[in-house]
Amino acid sequence: MRLGLVLGLVVLAGALLPLGLPRYLLTVLTEGLIFGLFAMSLDLMVGYTRLYSFGHAAAYGLGAYSAALILTHLHWPLPIALVLAVLTTLLVAIPIAWVCTKSTGVSFAMLTLAFAQLGYAMLFRFKEVTGGSDGIDGVPRPAGPFGIDWFQGETGYFYLVLFCLVGSYLLSRAIVRSPFGAVLAGIRENEAKARSLGYNTRAYKMTTVVLAYGFGGLAGALYAPFAGFASPELFFWLVSGRVLIMVIVGGAGTLIGPIFGGAFFLFLEHQLSEITDLWPLIFGSLFIGFVLLAPQGIFGIVAGRLRRKERAAPGGGEEAPDAAA
Amino acid sequence: MRGSEGEGWSPRGTAHGLAQREDARKMNFLGFILTQCLNALSQASLLFFIASGLTLIFGIMRVINFAHGVIYMLGAYVGYSVVALTGSFTASLVVAPILVGAAGMVFERTLLSRLYVRGDAGAYLMLTFGLAVVLSEGIRQIWGAYPLSAGIPDALRGIILVVNQPFPRYRVFLILLGLAAAVALWKFLERTRAGLLIRAVSQNPEMVEALGTNVDLVRTGVFGLGCAMAALGGVLAAPLLTAFLAMGTNVVIDAFVIVIIGGMGSFLGSLIGSLLVAFVQVFGTYYFESLALALMYLLMLAVLVIRPGGLLGKEE
Amino acid sequence: MPLLELKGLSRRFGALVAVDAVDMGIEAGEIRAVIGPNGAGKSTLFNLITGLFRPSAGAVYFAGADITGLPAHQIAGYGIARTFQLTHLFPQLTARENVRIAAQARDKGRWQLLGGGGVLARTAALADEALERMRLSPLADRPAALLSHGDQRLLEVAMAIAQKPRLLMLDEPTQGLSIEETDHAVDNLKAALAGGELTMILVEHDMEVVFKLADNITVLHRGHVIADGPAAAVRADPVVQRAYLGGAE
Repeated sequence: MRLGLVLGLVVLAGALLPLGLPRYLLTVLTEGLIFGLFAMSLDLMVGYTRLYSFGHAAAYGLGAYSAALILTHLHWPLPIALVLAVLTTLLVAIPIAWVCTKSTGVSFAMLTLAFAQLGYAMLFRFKEVTGGSDGIDGVPRPAGPFGIDWFQGETGYFYLVLFCLVGSYLLSRAIVRSPFGAVLAGIRENEAKARSLGYNTRAYKMTTVVLAYGFGGLAGALYAPFAGFASPELFFWLVSGRVLIMVIVGGAGTLIGPIFGGAFFLFLEHQLSEITDLWPLIFGSLFIGFVLLAPQGIFGIVAGRLRRKERAAPGGGEEAPDAAA
Repeated sequence: MRGSEGEGWSPRGTAHGLAQREDARKMNFLGFILTQCLNALSQASLLFFIASGLTLIFGIMRVINFAHGVIYMLGAYVGYSVVALTGSFTASLVVAPILVGAAGMVFERTLLSRLYVRGDAGAYLMLTFGLAVVLSEGIRQIWGAYPLSAGIPDALRGIILVVNQPFPRYRVFLILLGLAAAVALWKFLERTRAGLLIRAVSQNPEMVEALGTNVDLVRTGVFGLGCAMAALGGVLAAPLLTAFLAMGTNVVIDAFVIVIIGGMGSFLGSLIGSLLVAFVQVFGTYYFESLALALMYLLMLAVLVIRPGGLLGKEE
Repeated sequence: MPLLELKGLSRRFGALVAVDAVDMGIEAGEIRAVIGPNGAGKSTLFNLITGLFRPSAGAVYFAGADITGLPAHQIAGYGIARTFQLTHLFPQLTARENVRIAAQARDKGRWQLLGGGGVLARTAALADEALERMRLSPLADRPAALLSHGDQRLLEVAMAIAQKPRLLMLDEPTQGLSIEETDHAVDNLKAALAGGELTMILVEHDMEVVFKLADNITVLHRGHVIADGPAAAVRADPVVQRAYLGGAE
């Protein structure tokens, strides 16, 4: 598949980048990749199952705080802390998913938001543990197991993030193409029909939410040792909003789109907010433009063009009108 | 709550809470409770302005206006400017809602209505969210980052005594105005032809259109009305809270919680919801302090789990 | 033993008796049409059998088992598949994928999160089989939204067939179809039903369709059965002719 080739090249380029980039840019890029992972995790919900979430920051914050706590209090090796943080996020996500999938549509979105806000409030309630508004500072990157420590430097950490991102992407892609993923498509297209065919759609939706939280938690867990701290803003609704915008603009339902969208826009944000005060205005207007004119997002457009080229070849089929995710 | 502050298992166990209780007992307990109730009522009044607009818009358009909180904020800022220009609070009560309502109608006509053909609920959510972002940035650009306030107008300053407890006159004004607005809105919806039209469109727009009414116009009008209500809430809130940049985000969540609890599209639901949430907030903050925020969400969670359509609302 | 048996089945909505003490027996391999004027209770009867409504009185037996009052998804598990009056499909997915997903619902591998090549392959085979039966194979790669209304109805039937049901219940399959589309649909249905392993109940208003497809006919009027028997006999029945057929056919 041509797309696979392109991706392989991109990953290769990504792997070689640190050798040429100044340290500052490498840091921005690392954060971009973390955010790209975060956006991809949300795409599983929004793009593939049409579960709009306004509270995905909860996944990010959970991962970040879990990792921060394990690293600062227990000083366990970084890879182990990452795994544990993801597991913690997955566990907490189960009751959240259970409650949220009791409703659909706007109620679902509001419930996810409620949980994120609840998390935010909990941080202040238990400030002895979480550090309250100060958060947790000085998060280390302990070496190990077996003494491996290449992730302690900037370049090393970049590779760690890249590895996690690529791995998560491949895993998500496999899930989306599996029998399970096919049912998600059905739920997205017509949930009532899926139910009448005999599928327990609620269980499928719950699983998707938990998976999305897992990947989002990984992103958060990667963020805490990267930035060196975890703070309550990670749970704030604007974070949820931002990542949702990334998914839509990048291209919901493509996995790739949100990754690149997330990384690219984070990069843009860093660069432009230095220059102009007006970045949020531009960003918001851009988003409105996309919602109105290009709801399939950047990658949705690209994917559509590629598909059309394939179909132009003999033997190709037609394309449904408005084939947006 | 339970022993984590080391004061025993009483829910009022924090040192600060204990002192407050003693004071209350020393003062007039009845008066205290009454003033807290009045507090809650004035809070409910403010919330009602926002929630009623939100539920009206949803009822007729099935649009979730995520920008509603920012519109409330816009009302506060515009109100401030009107007072700064004319020196009249009354003028701001009239001018700000009209201006913001008109702006809302323009937004609906030019941008929102493009989404109707698509029938995708998510798109509305996204569009109004984008509006919220753009609007709040715009406000920041125009009015600056610092909180602004023209203060409580002279005529409404001062306190009244409720069973020997002081209570701000302005809050009494809020309660009365909120009551008046609720009654007026109810009368409008139930007793006037326009209100009948609105209710008809919310139930069966195709039928109403077939009978010759321009449903698009009704939608635009209702959106404007909803925005005007929210803006009025902002104008009223500003003297108490000042106009500041985070006020939109705080309140939109409150408003959604109210509308979900009361039921989306239900006017009565928005009233009941406002009262419920206000009382939970006021009394919750007093008894449970930092958990009060959580209480509201727990309330919403509870309602959604038991009755997914809200207490009084239609299912989506 | 009949595959489906209704004994004294009734459903009341307040004072309105929608279905009134209906007795019915359908043998395996039979094609039964249920006809009657609007409001006769046909859709309510369907809903009672498939578990969307609970009966006010009476019982429903399927292959000897008592399925009265069971929830819809459980009844579906017994092998009863049903289509609705309004077309329900997965619009952006191809016709084949629509049917494949239907087939997958009965496959034990439907929960596989990774890989699942085996599941995907065998359900695709079932889908192609069902599409072939409904003569929709040439349209397999077309998104469902792009099919004609008639083909969409047939696609729904294909989805139902792909689940290998023991009983297929079609609720007004030709509703909203033009004359050509109806002929096309009936031809396909007839071909699909040849072979006799499928048992089918059909609610229909179009008498031509009924007489082309049905072995037996049950006539409902105001909730109770006024005639029941082989198609030709019912057609000739004067009671039925007066109440419903109006002699125009």
